[in-house]
Amino acid sequence: MTRPRLLCLSLAALLVSSDITAADAPRAAEGAVHTVVIENMRYNPPELSVHRGERIVWVNKDLFPHTVTAAAHAFDSGSIAAGASWTYVAGKTGEYAYGCTFHPTMKGILKVQ
Amino acid sequence: MKCTTSLCGTLLLLALGATSAWAAGPTDAQIAAIVITANQVDIDAGKLAKSKAHSPDVREFAQRMITDHSAVNKSATELVERLHVTPEPNPTSESLQKGGDENLAKLKTLSGAAFDKAYIDHEVAYHEAVLSALDKTLIPSAQNAELKALLVKVRPAFVAHLDMAKQIQSGLSKSGA
Repeated sequence: MTRPRLLCLSLAALLVSSDITAADAPRAAEGAVHTVVIENMRYNPPELSVHRGERIVWVNKDLFPHTVTAAAHAFDSGSIAAGASWTYVAGKTGEYAYGCTFHPTMKGILKVQ
Repeated sequence: MKCTTSLCGTLLLLALGATSAWAAGPTDAQIAAIVITANQVDIDAGKLAKSKAHSPDVREFAQRMITDHSAVNKSATELVERLHVTPEPNPTSESLQKGGDENLAKLKTLSGAAFDKAYIDHEVAYHEAVLSALDKTLIPSAQNAELKALLVKVRPAFVAHLDMAKQIQSGLSKSGA
């Protein structure tokens, strides 16, 4: 029982390490995942700073659909249904004001460094 | 038109404000009927406005009212079913329904810019009246914690809808509608 288990563990370790070595440069910058909760007609936190290559997940906890739409459509989630989420990988550096096209009173800022 | 608008708002406030006349506040079953009726009359007005409104902004707003208020009613209906509460019609829900019917009848006689203005003016008055009822009567009177939580959860949407309606209202008056 011990041997197969050890083998299994070694294989798992090998898989993990090979995944790391195979990762290309931009992927290495990935890792951090930021979450913005959409609830009570607000983005929380309303302002978020991330690094290029990091992921941001907007989770819609309201009862109705919302969007995450940046000015000039630098990024645009389209409709995010109630209870659903949308993930975006920050591409270009800059400061992006965004909002919900369905509810213009909702505003947020994403800063990509 | 301004007189009509304020009269309309007054009537709405009277309908919703009637809840304050309850000796011990409305019961959860009565609150459920008030909430479901309040959402439904706005969905009905939205459906008419979506097909009849002249301005694209007004049509978009109408679609938002249909989507958002339908979602609120879906949650409210699921909750009361789960809680085995049967919505109980009462004077407030009945006058809301009557006010909604009268609003629809009036809107059907209008067209173009006059329709847009009447619909948006009513939306401003309606959302103000519902917010007032939520704060003064419905949220304080709700006994079941989940029903109270639902009312608290939907409140920000009514605030946002009111802001949106006011913004469109000001745009319509600037464009001379």
